[in-house]
Amino acid sequence: MSGIRLQDAGHGVAGKVILSGLDLHLTEARIGIVGRNGSGKTTLLRLIAGLVAPTTGTVRLDGIDPFHDRKGTLARLGILFQNPDHQILFPTVEEELAFGLRQQGQAQAQALEAARAALQAEGRGHWAGAAVATLSGGQRHWLCLQAVLMMRPATILLDEPFAGLDLPTIARMIRRLAALPQRLITISHEPAAVAGADRVIWLEAGRVAADGPPAEVLPAFTAEMARIGGTDADADLAG
Amino acid sequence: MERSLTHVALFAALVAVLGLVPQISLAAGVPITAQSLGIMLCGTVLGARRGALAVLLFLALVAAGLPLLSGGRGGIGVFAGPSVGFLIGFPLAAFTAGWIVERTTLAPGLAAGAAAIIGGIGVLYAFGIPGMALVLQKSLGEASFIAMAFLPGDVLKAVLAGFVTQAIARMRPGALLSRA
Amino acid sequence: MLTLTSPVETPLHRLPAAAKLAALAVFTVVLFRLSSPAGLALALAVVVALHLPWGARFAAHAGRMMRPLWPFVAVVALWHLWVSDPRGGAVVVLRMAAAVAAANLVTMTTRLSDMLAVFEWLATPLARLIPPRRLALAFALMIRFIPQLSDRLRQIADAFRARSPRRPGWRVLVPATLAALDDADHAAEALRARGGTE
Repeated sequence: MSGIRLQDAGHGVAGKVILSGLDLHLTEARIGIVGRNGSGKTTLLRLIAGLVAPTTGTVRLDGIDPFHDRKGTLARLGILFQNPDHQILFPTVEEELAFGLRQQGQAQAQALEAARAALQAEGRGHWAGAAVATLSGGQRHWLCLQAVLMMRPATILLDEPFAGLDLPTIARMIRRLAALPQRLITISHEPAAVAGADRVIWLEAGRVAADGPPAEVLPAFTAEMARIGGTDADADLAG
Repeated sequence: MERSLTHVALFAALVAVLGLVPQISLAAGVPITAQSLGIMLCGTVLGARRGALAVLLFLALVAAGLPLLSGGRGGIGVFAGPSVGFLIGFPLAAFTAGWIVERTTLAPGLAAGAAAIIGGIGVLYAFGIPGMALVLQKSLGEASFIAMAFLPGDVLKAVLAGFVTQAIARMRPGALLSRA
Repeated sequence: MLTLTSPVETPLHRLPAAAKLAALAVFTVVLFRLSSPAGLALALAVVVALHLPWGARFAAHAGRMMRPLWPFVAVVALWHLWVSDPRGGAVVVLRMAAAVAAANLVTMTTRLSDMLAVFEWLATPLARLIPPRRLALAFALMIRFIPQLSDRLRQIADAFRARSPRRPGWRVLVPATLAALDDADHAAEALRARGGTE
């Protein structure tokens, strides 16, 4: 029962269907999920992370239910939000890093000690007491990923990890992610962000449009996006 | 559970921020701070319980030493000064305003405007004026006379609290926890 | 974040916060028992004396914190001169000044984190109503989000000014409140993603 298994999973809000009929078994080390805006990518990520419950079907993470078994989920899976400001909860760097450990049962002093040690190991020991409000955008991204890594999950979900970052920051981020032993599930509307994945899933209108190695899925996805972009029919309102 | 906690914390921060921004001039040329409007909104948007908790959280951090009261005031000293009654009245004002919005079936904006007047002015002054009378050793009548200087501004803020609550009810109906 | 704690380190900084708060409570009760101008003047002199050994910067900081009190002092003084009761006026002004200055002194010599720790300790009898960890989390969240909401308010005002010749004024209130509601939802989700409030 290892890996992430979705069986006929779907999610809707107030009667509006966002995802439906998803049957997926995710076991690869590097998985990419592509789709255009509104295709349901972020909702799928939140479903896998247990932030929302499926309205139909089931979601299982190594056999457990990520929505109800929060403790089990936290030990297995971390999520990196697209906007660091939506993820950071604490005024200082060390508190932010210590929080996850505290949630996993460590004492406050011990968690703070571990946070400082982790900063030291990354050559950022002087960050410990710094106010998060003073960090740059790239530094906030670094902090968010570090806060997730502190909890030692086996799987990390990444929501548009490169959105809004400058090129040097993207290069650093790619290097850092590539070196991680964890299973990474990356969602993006950008084919290049998932070109190195073992498997790519293309979501369209809340369903799987294609699923396979990037060499198969991405050219079709890129061609379809170019075709849609070539038309001017973007005046329709959703729902 | 999480949402309840974060709403309390974020509205406490909102009250603080509304007191920090001097550039909000609510009416032409009257530079009154929006802080007490923030107190009213805690009640009318979050409801009685969460609204009062948000205001208490705000006051705790003021007492702990953050200069978050309008005019950059803070610390324990503000609880020894003439405004102490108003500070004690803040959470009760938010609670009352929230309670009224929760219990009435009027349109949210109307209910919130009325609730802001009853809670944010009536209840607030009922604590603020005796507090001022006590610290300054004046009669209630004399203290009321000083407080009347703030009345026009506070009435304007109550009306605005009604507008803001109405706008939220229209734009984000699910977010109006006082009516959830 | 800017706090009112003085950056000038004094020996008073090293006293436990709870002890300072207890002393302040006792002092304030005594002030309200005293009714002679001489006694109150002495009490105020003691408070002022506690400010002086730490240098001009510290004293100036304390002076600035007393500033909001002056309008009230002026009103009370004028009133009592008008009704020819200078003694009564002196009692009110001296007592108020001594109480506020003593409280400010505790604030200036106590770090925010120490003060919050005392509050958390004071709240332990309420643990069933307000679990201590939730209280600590609420303090941290509020401090974290003040700069963010403040930036957001500035952005909203800029966005308004970019397309309008008028000052934004009260028009920022709706987007600012919506920003607080949105941030609260995002923070709740981030909290849940890392283990919720348990």
